[in-house]
Amino acid sequence: MMATLTLALAVSACSRRGGCRDEYCGTLVFAAVGSVTTLLPPLSGASLERDVFDQILLRLADFRAGASTIGDSGFVPQLARSWEWTDPLTITFHLDPRARWHDGPPVTAADVQFTFESYTDTALGAGESKALSRIASVTAADSLTAVFRFREAYPEAFFDAAFHMRILPAHLLRDVPRNAWQTAAFGRAPIGNGPYRLVRWVPNEIMELAADSMFFLGRPHLRRLIFRFASDLNVGVTQVVAGDADAIEVLVAPPNIERAQAADHLALYPYAGTTYTFMRFNLRANGDALRPHPLFGDPDVRRALVLATDRERMVQSATAGRAKVPPGPMPQQWSWLWVPELTPPPFDTAAAGRLLTARGWRDSNGDGIRDRAGRRLSFHVAVPTTSALRKQYARLLQEQFRAVGVELVIDEMDNAALSDRQNAGSFDATLESFQTDPSPIASVPGIWGTGGASNFGHYANAAVDRSMRAAARASSQAEARTAWVTAFQIMAQDAPAILLYALDNVAAVNTRVTGVEIRPDSWLALVRNWRIPPDRLNERDRVGR
Amino acid sequence: MTAAFWLALLVAVGWTAGVVAWCRRVARGGGRRAEAWRRFFRHPAASAGLAVLVFFTTVAICAPLLAPYRPSQQLDIVALQNRPPSWLHPLGTDLYSRDIWSRLAFGAQVSLGIGTLGMAVAVSLGGLVGAAAGYFRGWIDAALMRLVDVGLSVPRIFIVLLAVALWDRLGTGALILLLGLTGWFATSRLMRSEVLSLRERPFADAARAAGARPWRIITRHIVPNAAAPLIISAALGIGHMMLLEAGLSFLGVGVAPPQPSWGNMIADGRDQIVTAPWTSLFPGLAIALTVMALNAIGDALRDALDPRAEGTLPTGA
Amino acid sequence: MTAWLLRRLAAAFAIVFTVVTLCFIAIHLAPGTPFLPEEGRTINPEAVARLRREYGLDRPLPQQYVRYLAALARGNLGESFSQRRPVADAIASALPNTVVLAGAALGIDFLLGIAIGAYQAARARRRSDAALTSASLFVHSLPIFWLGLVLLLVFGQWLHWFPVGGVTDPVMYDSLSLLGKLSDRLRHLALPALTLGIVGAAGTARFQRAALLEALSADYVRTARAKGLPESAVLLRHALRDALLPVITLLGLALPFLLTGAVLVETVFAWPGLGKLATDAIAARDYPLVLATTLLASVAVVMGSLVADLLTALADPRVRLVA
Repeated sequence: MMATLTLALAVSACSRRGGCRDEYCGTLVFAAVGSVTTLLPPLSGASLERDVFDQILLRLADFRAGASTIGDSGFVPQLARSWEWTDPLTITFHLDPRARWHDGPPVTAADVQFTFESYTDTALGAGESKALSRIASVTAADSLTAVFRFREAYPEAFFDAAFHMRILPAHLLRDVPRNAWQTAAFGRAPIGNGPYRLVRWVPNEIMELAADSMFFLGRPHLRRLIFRFASDLNVGVTQVVAGDADAIEVLVAPPNIERAQAADHLALYPYAGTTYTFMRFNLRANGDALRPHPLFGDPDVRRALVLATDRERMVQSATAGRAKVPPGPMPQQWSWLWVPELTPPPFDTAAAGRLLTARGWRDSNGDGIRDRAGRRLSFHVAVPTTSALRKQYARLLQEQFRAVGVELVIDEMDNAALSDRQNAGSFDATLESFQTDPSPIASVPGIWGTGGASNFGHYANAAVDRSMRAAARASSQAEARTAWVTAFQIMAQDAPAILLYALDNVAAVNTRVTGVEIRPDSWLALVRNWRIPPDRLNERDRVGR
Repeated sequence: MTAAFWLALLVAVGWTAGVVAWCRRVARGGGRRAEAWRRFFRHPAASAGLAVLVFFTTVAICAPLLAPYRPSQQLDIVALQNRPPSWLHPLGTDLYSRDIWSRLAFGAQVSLGIGTLGMAVAVSLGGLVGAAAGYFRGWIDAALMRLVDVGLSVPRIFIVLLAVALWDRLGTGALILLLGLTGWFATSRLMRSEVLSLRERPFADAARAAGARPWRIITRHIVPNAAAPLIISAALGIGHMMLLEAGLSFLGVGVAPPQPSWGNMIADGRDQIVTAPWTSLFPGLAIALTVMALNAIGDALRDALDPRAEGTLPTGA
Repeated sequence: MTAWLLRRLAAAFAIVFTVVTLCFIAIHLAPGTPFLPEEGRTINPEAVARLRREYGLDRPLPQQYVRYLAALARGNLGESFSQRRPVADAIASALPNTVVLAGAALGIDFLLGIAIGAYQAARARRRSDAALTSASLFVHSLPIFWLGLVLLLVFGQWLHWFPVGGVTDPVMYDSLSLLGKLSDRLRHLALPALTLGIVGAAGTARFQRAALLEALSADYVRTARAKGLPESAVLLRHALRDALLPVITLLGLALPFLLTGAVLVETVFAWPGLGKLATDAIAARDYPLVLATTLLASVAVVMGSLVADLLTALADPRVRLVA
C-alpha cells in the first residue's frame, strides 16, 4: 500500500517536470455562455457556433476590423491569395495552393463551387442565402481558380462573395444528401482547413480545439482552445473571476465588470458592440394584423412614449455608462454612421404628457393611468427571461411610463414562446436585441423595411424603403452614410420603436495572454495571433506534449 | 426612514412581544387548553417561532403603515442604486434604487399569502381526497391513491416548469392554484391513514348505527378528529410552498414584476451577490426565518395537539 | 410476497405511463417551437418548417403519440433536437453525474443526519439539543440555491478551496494520475454535494431524533436499562436498530427531494446532470429529451419508494405488505 502511494506521488511529480515550455504552448479556457447544436455553417444559428468554426473553416478573404464593406479594400487574403475584377460582373479568386484540408487533400475551386451551391440550396435553408441571391453562379475555371458571376453590379458585391460563406469540403459532403445534413456526422465532427481542428466535444459540457501546426498562414501560438459551456452569464463570470476559466466574450452587467476589475489576473478589453436593443411597438392590433393597434396605431402615442423615457439615465443605471443611446437602429460596430446630424430624441416628460393629452388620453378616474373612451393606456411588453439586462430595462421603463400615466405590464417568457408571439403578431410591444453584420444592408431592411422577415411590428414607410435601397446602391461609404442618415431621421419621426442602448462589449482575458486582438463582429476571429510568452506559462499551459 | 416609520416598526415589535407574552400567560392557566399551550411552549424553538411568525404577519398586514416607500418606487436610478444599509434605508437599496425594507414588507404579503393560500388549496383538496379514499375504501380508494402515486412520482419542479412553459406568464392567482394543485398529494396520504383508523372508532360506529349518511359522518365526525395532523402538515407545508416559489423566481418564472416577493427579490439580487450582498441576503434571511418558524411551530403543534407524541414521556434517565 | 411485488410493479408501470402521457400532452401544447436559432438572429421560417416535417412534428398529435410509444416499446428514446444526437446518449452522459451527485448528497445527508439525530436523542432536552434543533431548523429552511450561491462565493471564489463548476478540470484532467483524477473529481463534487447534503441532513436529523426518542421509550429499552446496561449500549445496540427503519422510508422520499433540489444546485454549480439537462431541454422545446428525462425521473421515484417499502418489509417482520 505504501509502495503504491509513493509510486503514485513520484509519478505525479514526474509529470510536472516535463511538458510544453516554448512559444507555441498555451491552453486557453473560454467560459462560453450559450450552446452549440451543429458545426455546419449553413445550418448554424448561434454565435458560439460561429466562434468555433471561425477556427476550423475559413473564408475566401477575411474582413478587417472597422473597414468599409463597400469594395474590397476591407479584406485580407485568406483561402484566396489574390483576386481581380475581370469585368464589372465577375470576380476571379485565386486560391492559395498551400491551403489544405485537415484530412490531406488541397482546397480547390470545386470546394468553392460546392459551397456556393450548398448555401443557396433551398433544401438547406441557410440564413445567408438571401445575401447570396445576387450571385448568379460560381464556377471552377481550374483547380485553384474560382469565378463568381453576379446578376447585377452593386457596391457590396465583394462583401457578399467573401464574407458570408465558409468554404466546405466537397469531397466529404458531396455524398451526403441535403436532407441528412442536419444530423450528419460532419456537423458534430467537422474537418476543416483552418488554424485549429476539433478534438473533443461533449455537448453542453466542453469542446476542445487543437492547433494545426502546419497551418499555411502561420502556426497558432495557443496550442489548445477549450470551451466550457455555461448556461448563463453569471456562472461564466464566476468561472473567469475564480480563475477556472481564462476568458469570456462579454461581461455585460456592471457588477460583473466590477468583479472582473477587482480580479488581478484579468485584463478588460472593451470593443465595439454588434447589438442594439429597442422596445418595438406593434403597429397592428395584437393578434389581428388587419386592424391598426388601438394604442400604437397612433404615431403621437409612440412619440410621446419615446419622449417619456430617460434613456441616458437608464444607460447609466443599467450599464454604468458602458453603452450608448443609439440615434438610429444601429450598433456601435457601424461607427461610420454615428454622426452629429443624427441625434437621439430628447427626454421631455412635459412634452410627452402634452402629446398624450392632446390625443385625448386623460386620467379621468384618478387611478394614475390615462384613459380615453373607457380604454386605459396600458399595454404588455414581452421580455425574454434569458436577458438580465432587458429584464432590468423592463422594470425601469415600467416606472418611467408610470410617471406619465401609462401602465406597462411585463410578461417574461422564454425564447421559444417569445418567438411564437413575434411571428404571430400577438404582442403589444417587445424588448428585442439584434445581432448585426458589418454591413447595415443585411440587417436593417430585414427589421425595419416594409415586409421584412423580422419586421414583426408591421412598420412600413415607403420613404424609408427608398432611402435604404439608395444606401444599398451607394458606391462610396459617404454616399451610403447620407442615405442611411435620411432613412434613420424619418424613422425617428415615425417612432416605430424606442431605441434603448447599443452596448460596448467588454471582454475579460487572463493577463498572461498578450497580443489580444478582438474583432467586433467575431471576437475570436484573430485568436490565432494571441500568444502566451514562455515566461508566463502556467501549469495548464505546460501540461502535455 | 423618517422617525415616524421607525416608531411604527417599534410598535410592531412591541405588538409581537405582547402577543407572545399573552400566549404564554394563557399557558400558565388551568384547563385542557392551557395544558396544550404548555406542551406547545415546551418545545425549544416554539416561542421564537411564534414571535417570528407574528412579526412577519403583522408586517405583511400593516405594510402600508410600516413601509416608507412604494415597493416599486425607483428613487434615483443612478445615485441611489445598490446603496448599503443606512439610517435612511435600513436594509439598503437594490439594483433599481428601490428601498429593500419597503419591498420586504410588501413582499411579505405576497410570499406569506402565496404560501398560505397555496397550502389552503392543497390541504382542502388533499383532505377531501384522502378522506374519501379512507372512508369509502374499495375501488374509490384504489383509484384515488393511484392518482396520488402519479402525482408523487414526478418531482414537483418538473411539473411546475412544464406548466409555466405552457402558459407564458402565470398571474399570481394561477401560480397559487398551480402550487396548490401540485402539493396536495402528501396531505391526502396523511388524511387517508388518519381516516382509516378513525372510521373504526366507536363514535363512527355509533353515527353509522344512527343512520347518518357517509358524507355527514366524514365532515361532522371524522374530519374534526383528523384535523390535528392536517394542521401540522399545513404549517410545515407553507414553508415548502414559500421555498418552491423562491426557487421558481430564481429560475425566472414566478411572481410578475414589479410586485415584490421574497423569492423574486433574491432572484433580482443574484447578480449582485458580491457587489451588493444585502439585496439577496435580507429576503433570503426572511424566508429562512419564516420557514424555520413554521417548522418550529409545526413541531410544537405536534407536541401540543397529540399527547401521544414522542419526547413527552419521561425518559427516566 | 411475489404477488405483492408483481402488483406493485404493475402499478408502477401504470403510473409511469400516465406521467409520460401527461408530459407529452403538456410539452406539445406549450407555445413555441423547437429548432429556433438563438434569440436576436433572423429566423428562416421555411427551414424551421422543414425541420418540423422531418421530425414528424406536423402530423396530428395522436399519431405522434402512437409513434412515440411504438418507438419507446422498441427501446428507442428518439433523437434530441437541441443536441443532434440520440437521446439515450445525452442521458447516458448526464445520468452518471446526477447519480454521483445524488449518491454523495445522500451519503452526507444520512451520515450527518443520523449522527446528529442520535447525538440529539442522547442529549435530549439539554441545551445542546435545543441549540442543534434551532441550527438544523435554520439550515433546513434555507433556500437551497441561496445556500449554494453563498458556498460558491465563499469557498469557490474567495478562498478558492474548491473549483466553481463542472465535473472535472477541463485542462488538466486527462494528464493526471489515477489519484489525481479521483482527487479532482472529489474537489468538483464537494460543494454541490455539500449544499444538497447539508439541507437534507438537517431534515434527517430531526426525523432521526424523533424516531430514536420514541424507540428509547419502548418497553424493551426500559428492560435493558433495568438490567444495568450503560446508556451508550442501550442506544447503539437496541434503539438505533429499531429507529433506522423509518429512516429507510426516508430514502424513498429523499429521491424526489434530490431531483428537485438537484435542478437548482446543478444550475448554480454548472453540474451537467439530469436536472440541468431537463431545464435546458424545456427551454429549447426539445420534446424527446424532455419526455425522456421525465420518464427517467418518475421511474426513479417509483422504484425508490418500491425499494423503500421492500427494505422495510424485509427488515421488520411485523410489517405486513399490503398492496
